[in-house]
Amino acid sequence: MAAVPETIVFVAAPPRQGLWSKAFHKFCRDRAGLVGLWVVLLYAIVALGVWLGFWAGDWADVTGPKWGPVSAQHWFGTNLIGQDIFARALYSTRTAFELGLVVAVLSTFVGAVFGAFAGFFSGGWIDELVLWFMGVIDSIPFYLLVAAIAFSLGDSPYAMYIAMIATFWVGTSRLVRGEVIKLKEFEFVEAAHAIGLSELAIIFRHILPNTFHILLVQATITFVAAIKSEVILSFLGIGIQDGMSWGLMIAESTIEVLAGFFNNFIAASLLMFGLVMAFNMFSDALQDALDPRSVR
Amino acid sequence: MTRPVLEVRDLAVEFDTENGRVRAVNNVSFSVNAGEVVGLVGESGCGKTVTGLSLLGLVPSPPGEVVNGEILLDGHDLLKLNEVGMRKIRGGEVSMIFQEPMTALNPVLTVGYQMTEVLRLHKSLSKRQARNAAIEMLGIVGIPVPSKRIDEYPHEMSGGMRQRVMIAMALSCGPKLLIADEPTTALDVTTQAQVLDEIVRLQHQFEMAVILITHDLGVVAQTCQRALVMYCGELVEAAPIDSLFASPRHPYTQGLIRSIPRIREHKIDRLPVIEGMVPDIAALPEGCHFADRCNRVQADCHERSPVLTPSAEAGAVACWHPLEPQHD
Ligand SMILES: Nc1ncnc2c1ncn2[C@@H]1O[C@H](COP(=O)(O)OP(=O)(O)O)[C@@H](O)[C@H]1O
Ligand code: SF4
Ligand SMILES: [Mg+2]
Repeated sequence: MAAVPETIVFVAAPPRQGLWSKAFHKFCRDRAGLVGLWVVLLYAIVALGVWLGFWAGDWADVTGPKWGPVSAQHWFGTNLIGQDIFARALYSTRTAFELGLVVAVLSTFVGAVFGAFAGFFSGGWIDELVLWFMGVIDSIPFYLLVAAIAFSLGDSPYAMYIAMIATFWVGTSRLVRGEVIKLKEFEFVEAAHAIGLSELAIIFRHILPNTFHILLVQATITFVAAIKSEVILSFLGIGIQDGMSWGLMIAESTIEVLAGFFNNFIAASLLMFGLVMAFNMFSDALQDALDPRSVR
Repeated sequence: MTRPVLEVRDLAVEFDTENGRVRAVNNVSFSVNAGEVVGLVGESGCGKTVTGLSLLGLVPSPPGEVVNGEILLDGHDLLKLNEVGMRKIRGGEVSMIFQEPMTALNPVLTVGYQMTEVLRLHKSLSKRQARNAAIEMLGIVGIPVPSKRIDEYPHEMSGGMRQRVMIAMALSCGPKLLIADEPTTALDVTTQAQVLDEIVRLQHQFEMAVILITHDLGVVAQTCQRALVMYCGELVEAAPIDSLFASPRHPYTQGLIRSIPRIREHKIDRLPVIEGMVPDIAALPEGCHFADRCNRVQADCHERSPVLTPSAEAGAVACWHPLEPQHD
């Protein structure tokens, strides 16, 4: 071995970090992702403010003339019956968050559970059943499914939620299933068996926590998908049933656009576009940061 | 005479593979006494791990299946237990440590979480008691500042540390029997020696029986009182360490001993390896499975399978023409 000089330049050993701290550092270097996150947080504050009654409480009141112009009182003007478009657009932010969060959390949860069971018992009857079920749902056109559920629930306001959850869990479930099939071959699963844990405990306490990065990314993707689908469903009349949403505003604006009045349409579209864009940027950055291949 | 903690009789394990059903473990019988360290040696693929797993009812099924035998732990047949009964044994009375310390701990759970999980599963301890017991155990296996390191994730520890954590976990419920499957193979030589010493020390301290699975006779010489030599799923020789090394009876054992690297002779000379290939267990030859590689083979070896027969020297050998016992 070559002689080591007396003064040694210490090269810091690469710090041993876990997936999460590496991902965090990587995310922090991603400009677009950070901008996305901040914008999403801004929207979240708006939604929270609506929820707490700080603003947009008067979204349903007639506060001005029909199709009033942009003014200090009505920042985005008023709609065809004289309601404030700005207040309605803000209120719709709350609707979007409510929908996005509920659908993202529940469909990710359902997808995780079914995917984990299918993957853990891959090749067995549970797996066959879950795969068959996913195939069936994939083969039903989404809007038909919503219409069918809305019809069978008697126009319940939850129809859209249920339909979205029933559809969106499938993508997550397939990803989780694939990951669990890989994970269950790891020695730590065998070691978990060897300390006497039950299969349920192994699935939920040892395997699923290892798929958390997938679940997080899937939840953000589902959030965006839910908000985008809402517009079309509300437009078709099978979306939001009471309250206000960007989709309902756009549906409302169709009459106005014919009359040459675009405020309602532009306000709803812009606000939705802003949130979807920001969330996509955030989601992409998150995905990059958590991708084990790029972390390594 | 010490009573055996574990008695295995006529164990046979089969697997469904693409080439049909193969017998990975055949006709294996042995016993392990309390406080004894027994080595299970043989080349890779000879069925050591499958033997170890079957003691815990962990043979992957499908494709595997224990088709015959009895596994008596303190006289009770484990093969007669159902899954729930078996779970109480695993990690409690019998525990196992695995080859890869890097992957045998769950990467997303802290060491403390994983250790208290075992303790709370098998002993009715509160969270606090379990944590204290885990810290104490980590100290016993030689982890410095255990009260701090218990909150670390596995990736924050070195390979040797992780294997110590695995050992601490395996011993935390005071097992009667520890199965260590190649516990040091993945470690560097220095750490390997430390971990082996640790296992031996703890084996004394806890007065438990140990089955040490390894492909390395050198490790056996260092740690075991008795060795079982396995070839193609069968035991071919069983003997106390001293007589095994001084006077191996089976030609395969002799070959293995000759291929232990001699580091003391300064330069490692080309090791005489056993000539020939291990036969595929899907198509085992008639008669003695070692015949194609054996330097003592005779005509009758190809016809009849030798069975493990006790010999005069407290050992047993499965060979028609064993080497003569050496006395000196
Ligand atoms: N999961 C499995 N599926 C099919 N065959 C297996 C499986 N595990 C082990 N075997 C068979 O059992 C034999 C013994 O394997 P093993 O006990 O792991 O050997 P080792 O002595 O190296 O630990 C292998 O050669 C293989 O044919
Ligand atoms: S039985 Fe024959 S072939 Fe087999 S090990 Fe003994 S001498 Fe060799
Ligand atoms: Mg093995």
